[in-house]
Amino acid sequence: MIYTIVYGFTIGAILYFISIGLSLTFGTMRVINFAHTLTYTIGVYALITLIALLKGYFALVAGLAILLVIPISYVIERFVIRRLYGESLDYTFIATFAISLIGVDAIKWIWGVNPYPMNDPIGKYLVFSGLSVPIYRIVIVLIAILLFFGLNLFFKKTIVGKIVVASLEDKEGVRCLGINVDKYFSIVFVLGSALAALGGVLYAPISSIHPYMGLSILLLSFAVVIVGGMGNLNGTFFSAFALGMVMAVTARYWSQGAETMVFIVMAIVLIFKPIDI
Amino acid sequence: MNEKKTSSLNPPSKEELPSTLTNFQRKEYRKIDFLLIAAGFLLITPILSVHRVTDFMIFCIFAMSFDLLYGYMGRLSFGHMLFLGTGAYSCGLFIKYVSGNPLIAILVGIAVAGLLGILLGLIIVRTTGACFALINLAFNHIGFFLVLSPLREITRGEDGFGVSASKLGFLNFSSRPIMFGSVLLCLLLVFYLLKRLTSSPFGIMIRSIKEDETRVRFLGYNTFLYKWITFVLAGSLAGLAGTLSALNYNYVNPNSMDVHSNVGVVFACLIGGAGNLYGALVGGVVYMVISNFLPIYIHRWEMFLGFSLLIITFRFRKGICGYLLGLWEHGAKKRLIERSAEQGVAKI
Repeated sequence: MIYTIVYGFTIGAILYFISIGLSLTFGTMRVINFAHTLTYTIGVYALITLIALLKGYFALVAGLAILLVIPISYVIERFVIRRLYGESLDYTFIATFAISLIGVDAIKWIWGVNPYPMNDPIGKYLVFSGLSVPIYRIVIVLIAILLFFGLNLFFKKTIVGKIVVASLEDKEGVRCLGINVDKYFSIVFVLGSALAALGGVLYAPISSIHPYMGLSILLLSFAVVIVGGMGNLNGTFFSAFALGMVMAVTARYWSQGAETMVFIVMAIVLIFKPIDI
Repeated sequence: MNEKKTSSLNPPSKEELPSTLTNFQRKEYRKIDFLLIAAGFLLITPILSVHRVTDFMIFCIFAMSFDLLYGYMGRLSFGHMLFLGTGAYSCGLFIKYVSGNPLIAILVGIAVAGLLGILLGLIIVRTTGACFALINLAFNHIGFFLVLSPLREITRGEDGFGVSASKLGFLNFSSRPIMFGSVLLCLLLVFYLLKRLTSSPFGIMIRSIKEDETRVRFLGYNTFLYKWITFVLAGSLAGLAGTLSALNYNYVNPNSMDVHSNVGVVFACLIGGAGNLYGALVGGVVYMVISNFLPIYIHRWEMFLGFSLLIITFRFRKGICGYLLGLWEHGAKKRLIERSAEQGVAKI
């Protein structure tokens, strides 16, 4: 039972990392960012390439992998997303999907299609009255909680965060104040992509690594964003952990049905609270 | 174009509709359309092969059903393969377990896909835009997963299973020319149905929903019902395409429900020109030619697909058909101006 709870919290934490970027990009730019799968996957592949060079320094390598994603996501934002502001959602969706198609093919080109194995970087267990819980999973949950408070501070205290929150509410109003909103949007986009890469890097050791790994997790985090509310940062946090729990509990009784259950929850939420986007 | 604009601003009342309808009919139903389509597919048959062209036509049916949803109603779905797969599987399973009669199997496939559309439509149709696309994608993912693992006993998981329909008089679907003929017939039937539907008051209504749903609802129409019916129709037509592909290949496997294949039909609709049935046909053939022949020459064809999608979204939104239509309209306008200049009329 404790293992189920820990598993649920881990999945929830990973979902939080990935969906925060989706939620932010949607809330500010009105762009459904399918290329999120790409930044996530690139982060993971950068990790496995670098870890072969620098064995043993997982934290350092993870940091480097995330740093590597930042310029890539900036390029995506600058040359594709920025041209799509104010377009209908369909075109943004198709364009970002095209980017992820190109990126995934590039990954297949460079690294091949075969899945890579990866070990738990800490490898120690916390023995707790007869139950052993991997420390790594606890670390992930702690990072997620830290990130939640960190982001809250960022959005409440710093000027950049305040501008972003204001433009979540009313983009035109912020623009009328003479603030170059596009600049802050690219910051938000890069931040979201970096967080997706963080999620990927942290999740890689406990999942399988293959070029299409981003798709299923993107669908799950999209469910998180729908349940939590588009552009609602606190809602995203709670719905991520709630859906992570749903996955873990379902997996305990019916291991194959975990992902399906999340979508069923999403469908129920949509029936009672239809959203117009 | 004109009809569309006025309808979105001011949908005609029910008494006015019949007259607009006859105008539409006079303009849009021409036997030559059907002859052209049939001749087009028959012409490419010697260049390619009968089997391949049958495959192309099935994909064109699928593309037209997608076009009803995306081009006409303006709802982009990224999970339309779900209905294709449902049709294929229910047809295959019916033949395998119940009876070998192919005609009943086709009807069963359409009915099951339609039923799925009725059930899922209740949830999906409430959403719009990217939410609609992603929920479809999510359901497609669930369907793919269901076929792969929980229903493995029946569907044979990744391996798929063979479908051998029994002979029904002269209708022997294992013979290539008969399969070709019946698929062509289905294609023309679907084309006729969709042409009829999209130029009827119902079609005007769904196009108005694409333009501005709030306004249509404001005028007192139950938009949910219209969207739901369209969704179910698109689903059942995709189911028809699925049953035909199952009969054509004599084989069903999870690839018919693969989430990643959705990009193909979106690409086909966009390159041909969304919101135009000819666009769906042209796009379907172009996409099938690309996906059949390009991988032989270019290994990275997914990347090619991605770049062309980007180019389409940024530069070429009308697609091939829209582009040609634009050229033709431009030419017509020019001719008209020349003619009026000759007559010395300063009109236009």
